[in-house]
Amino acid sequence: MPAESILLRFMEGEGTADLEAYLRAGGYAAARHALTALTPEEVIDIVDQSGLRGKGGAGFPTARKWRFIPKGAPLKYVVVNGDEAEPCTFKDHMLLERAPHLLLEGIIIAAYAVGAHKAYVYVRREGYLARERLRQAVAAAYARGFLGRKIFGTGMDLEVVVHSGAGAYIAGEETALLESLEGRRAMPRQRPPFPAVFGLYGKPTVVNNVETLSHLPAVIRLGAEAYRALGPPALFSVSGHVRHPGVYELPLGIPMRQVIAAAGGLRPGRRFKAAFPGGSSSALLTAEHLDVPMDYEPLRAAGSMLGSASLIVMDDTTCIVRVAARAVAFYKEESCGKCTPCREGTYWLSQIFDRILAGGGRIEDLELLAHISRGMSNGACFCLLGESVPPGLEASLRHFRHEYEYHIRTGRCDVEETLAAAVASGA
Amino acid sequence: MAPLLEAARDEIRRLPTYYERRQSALLPALFVAQRELGWLPPQALQEVADLLDLPVSDVAAVASFYRFFFLEPPGRHLILLCTNLACLLNGAEGLRRHLEERLGVRPGQTTPDRAFTFRESECLAACHLAPMMMVDRERFGPLTPQAVDELLERYRAR
Amino acid sequence: MTERSDVTLTIDGRPVTVPRGTTVWQAARQAGIDIPIFCYHDRMPPLGACRQCLVRVEKNPRWQTSCTLLAEEGMVVHASTPEVRAAQERNLEFLLINHPLDCPICDKGGECPLQDQTFAYGPGRSRFVETKRDFAKPVSLGPILVLDRERCILCWRCVRFGEIIAGDEALKGFERGFATEINTPFTAPVRSKFIGNTISICPVGALTSRTYRFRARPWDTTPVPSVCNHCGLGCALWLDVRDRTVVRVRAREVPDLNDIWLCDLGQFGFSWLHARDRLTRPLVRRDGRLQEASWEEALVLVAERLRAARRDGPGRVAVLGGTRLTNEDNFLLRRFFREVVGTPHIDHRIDARPGSASLEVAWGLRTPLPAISQSDLLLLVGCDITEEYPIAWLRMKQAIDRGAALYSLHSRSLEIRRFARGTLVPTPGAEGVVLSQAAAAVSGAAPDGAVLREVGVDPAVVEALAAELRAARAPMVFLGKSALEGLAGRAVLRAAQYLQAAGCTVQVMRGKGNAIGAALMGVLPAPGGWSAPEIIRQAGSGALQVLYVLGGDPATEVADGRAWEAARARTPFLVVHDLFLTETARQADVVLPALAFAEKDGTVCNLEGRVQRITAAVRGPGEARSDAAVLAALAARLGVPWAYEGWEDVFAAAAAAVPGLAVGAIITPPPLSGDWPEDYAPPPPSADLVLISGEVLFDLGSMTSRSPAIAELAGPPTVWVHPTDAAARGLTDGALAQLSAGDASLVLRARVTTEVPAGRVFVPRGFDSLPLHRLLSWDRPMPTVSLRAVGGMAAAAAGAEAAP
Repeated sequence: MPAESILLRFMEGEGTADLEAYLRAGGYAAARHALTALTPEEVIDIVDQSGLRGKGGAGFPTARKWRFIPKGAPLKYVVVNGDEAEPCTFKDHMLLERAPHLLLEGIIIAAYAVGAHKAYVYVRREGYLARERLRQAVAAAYARGFLGRKIFGTGMDLEVVVHSGAGAYIAGEETALLESLEGRRAMPRQRPPFPAVFGLYGKPTVVNNVETLSHLPAVIRLGAEAYRALGPPALFSVSGHVRHPGVYELPLGIPMRQVIAAAGGLRPGRRFKAAFPGGSSSALLTAEHLDVPMDYEPLRAAGSMLGSASLIVMDDTTCIVRVAARAVAFYKEESCGKCTPCREGTYWLSQIFDRILAGGGRIEDLELLAHISRGMSNGACFCLLGESVPPGLEASLRHFRHEYEYHIRTGRCDVEETLAAAVASGA
Repeated sequence: MAPLLEAARDEIRRLPTYYERRQSALLPALFVAQRELGWLPPQALQEVADLLDLPVSDVAAVASFYRFFFLEPPGRHLILLCTNLACLLNGAEGLRRHLEERLGVRPGQTTPDRAFTFRESECLAACHLAPMMMVDRERFGPLTPQAVDELLERYRAR
Repeated sequence: MTERSDVTLTIDGRPVTVPRGTTVWQAARQAGIDIPIFCYHDRMPPLGACRQCLVRVEKNPRWQTSCTLLAEEGMVVHASTPEVRAAQERNLEFLLINHPLDCPICDKGGECPLQDQTFAYGPGRSRFVETKRDFAKPVSLGPILVLDRERCILCWRCVRFGEIIAGDEALKGFERGFATEINTPFTAPVRSKFIGNTISICPVGALTSRTYRFRARPWDTTPVPSVCNHCGLGCALWLDVRDRTVVRVRAREVPDLNDIWLCDLGQFGFSWLHARDRLTRPLVRRDGRLQEASWEEALVLVAERLRAARRDGPGRVAVLGGTRLTNEDNFLLRRFFREVVGTPHIDHRIDARPGSASLEVAWGLRTPLPAISQSDLLLLVGCDITEEYPIAWLRMKQAIDRGAALYSLHSRSLEIRRFARGTLVPTPGAEGVVLSQAAAAVSGAAPDGAVLREVGVDPAVVEALAAELRAARAPMVFLGKSALEGLAGRAVLRAAQYLQAAGCTVQVMRGKGNAIGAALMGVLPAPGGWSAPEIIRQAGSGALQVLYVLGGDPATEVADGRAWEAARARTPFLVVHDLFLTETARQADVVLPALAFAEKDGTVCNLEGRVQRITAAVRGPGEARSDAAVLAALAARLGVPWAYEGWEDVFAAAAAAVPGLAVGAIITPPPLSGDWPEDYAPPPPSADLVLISGEVLFDLGSMTSRSPAIAELAGPPTVWVHPTDAAARGLTDGALAQLSAGDASLVLRARVTTEVPAGRVFVPRGFDSLPLHRLLSWDRPMPTVSLRAVGGMAAAAAGAEAAP
């Protein structure tokens, strides 16, 4: 944890879902300051200088997104993407369950900055506790005059509506989220036009991730420079083969090795094999990358990405082929079906993996996997769901081809065989 | 098939006020109807369509897109066992086999006594509890086969 | 600096200049560069879903779908490099992995974009060794549509057609991902009047028609251009002929008319052409029975009777018909009966009531169809547009998508009510009152709330309508049959004329088949002559010696059973030209077998007044002859031999008589101009049920009942009842019901629906086996009726019978 935690301290212990607790921790001071002492343009400037980037996976600079909103438009919306469903990402749920007022305060600041007076928080269906805590927080905020009409005694109105999803990962894609919020199937929209110009109900809309907005109170409170000096910090979801999986507030740029250490390191007696630095949509990295700084540019340079900062750690008990198969199965399950390469590509890949794992693999399957993967890359798919398959798949083929070959040659898994042998010999 | 109770119909009628366009009330309206009836039979879809003045083809197509709308009657309790990466890495496959054996059904099916609908799930954003599952609205993990058995017993009685 | 209106880009090294707003795909096509594509259809906005049209654009590292990408100045596009070809092949490979090898048995073969594009751009072999997606197939979705989900490539065209073009949202995507399937809700029969179009635009054989299933390959058939003869819009079509049989009807593209669309009646209502019971020989009544005779015998007899009647006086012969005849037939009809026989009593408007407003106004559209899509306010008055002129609805939908407001004023709810900004459902017969109030409100007078509420209408809606009428740039009022035939018809015309003066275009949506052509050719009473209803009334008083009916069925069409019965009983000689033995033909003294539109050359006029050619596609059955030929033969026998060689000669003669008549010309009727009375008292509210009736698209007439798909869509005759009225009488949906007025009653199936208000029941017209006319009379077109459930033995008499 950095010297001053800006997020985690609102989530620890009892958390700050209770309004009084949040206020005691200094909550809503930043929103009050923004609304009473800053102009919207000044707020955007501060956020710009802070370098805050979206925490939903795309990492798009937040202020730049806000600036796409046409100033004179009469009706604008803020939509909060609380559909966190990226595999092994759980920071947003933690924020919603333990620090919902942090998000609300961030919404207020964002709405003020872009001139919106209505915000929808789209929360994934499975997030029952998150939604419950958020609804209670919203009610408490309304009661206190932090939401509703003339909030904080200013002339600003802000309505917040909590809206539940119904079970679809694709609804986390921002245009698909808008479709779902409009009561339709969560199928992504063509871009351009972008939501900032044509968003919810065709009106200019800012779609921001839960964590992104939760950073805003600290950005305003500390100012851009002090905020940056803290890292800036981000929430890392660490899971897989670590001793203490959980959400950790760490400075961006921290080496992967240290993130693993923060989560208690590997399980006893195990060696590091690989990790997805940014969830299953990122290319997996191997031991040679343990010192890569966990930040946007360094990870991109290493051939992967930060994404939603979800570190999935795999030790030497892991069959990479099985992991790759399960990742592909996820995208197949969640594909909306709109476009050919994603719908058919995930289906085909999944069938090939099932066959390989069942012992029916052929050596030409490796080139076939790569061929299908190429057909889903680089804009071939309508949206980024399909395009999230190739990075992990190709990295697994690149770094662990021998595991695939063993499955194909023998019909069995060499990792599992090695493990079984070790157990048998009492190692 | 009796139509929805008037209270549910009223609740659905009020939903559009939260949104600029009526159709936005569709997902919440379907959940109201499903809460009433336990699932969404065709008559319920027609009724929601009538209440929101939407074509029933649209309502049915939307309902079929999302995992949490039950277009067939589910069991009394819904088991969602996560088998995505973090849980997979922490033994979810073994738990799946255990549940299959204990429940006597494959994922996607409902037990003959209608106590449980068992599904494999994608990531439920609770990886710190891996391997984990949800039963109805509650999260449970890290699980062991024994813990699973205890949960089954507890829920079967409800 | 103003933006140039053109952009120049380079595609495969070729410079192309296109208007701003053109997509790269369209620009490529203009340059003669073919980029394979599936989901894009140029009548709908691009979607970018199929990904077949990917291209490389310099300075952009990512693939772009050329169908969605707007061409920009200086853009450099590569659509044919090896890399692009590889991507195109790969996308086809993806599409084919789950596509079944059905080509040999798939109706689409030979006209299949997937086949064609796979041949041109696809892989030669499949690398897919896994299990293909498995769906139950084929799935019947009603009498027309057959769905094969395994063939579907999820291009979404059919779904978007229902959402964007037709507005009926008949087909949707269900489930998601690889399990996505196109379906209707609950796999119920499709509810649409336009589903045939989805079959046309489907790029594979996923959507096929039951009527054409396994009938032919495109290279087996010869397409013959013609025009639909059903509703009166005269949509252009192709008749696909194989072995002297019309096996399929397809839309023929005429952008300003039906564009590329057809309604299902036009597309699937043609099987009657080859029905076994087409009349093939003349029939003459001998010893009380109709018996086959030779043409010689029949013509001799008819000529004799006409001569005798002519000797007796000029008005002893009257003629009903013309709607089902070509312009040439109608021209000769007029010549024969007016000049040779010498009677002033000819009229094609068989279904009009005496004194109805229909008889006082020219029928038809005052603008070409595309003008409808440019209107910003559409008011339907007694006009059930999707049941009566479906293709016109597609133009209205376009207008609505551009922001036009739709209002309807009708005695029941319309199918398209979802799109209406305001719906007025007054007491039947009160349309005139409401429209008058609206017209008065347009000039600023406040509508009379008490009067409006008394007829069941919300004054606020009338005020809103008036305000919009005032502010609209190009408002249109559509007067339909039920308003014009109603007791308040003249009041409706008066109010409409007022609105016309205030800037509205008034469209008279009246006339089926070639009714407009009949009017243009003068099949109308001469000065002093009787209109069609008057002919019938006079016939009932014994005024006629010969009644001549061509292509009409007054026995079922006339909305007063007793009036026709009397007319028949008191007229010594009845001659009928028809395709089938209709009820009128059954009562005739001579029946002459006629040719249908698909068996003739000539011209017809549609509701716009557009003159179109029809071409004979098949020969008629047996000894059937064209009406023109029969009339010429009779003329010769009556001493006036004509010298016409063929239809062109007749057309030329008609053109000499009718200014502006030419193939392709549009002869627009004049605006409304008349002097219609103001005073009209709305009917008093009734405690009993009031019976209203109207046209529906799918009925059981002589043609539709012989087109199996249409007959199945029509179903049995029904009475539509509001749930409250049904419950009070123990009627459930689909149950048998007895509808009675006076001493006449009918048995039909109840359809319980909120589309009729309480206190009113609706019976669709056009079900020939249902003698609805026995419940109706001209002075009581909307009688009060009683309705009760029927059970037990009486229920076994399904169908309609009059009570003894």
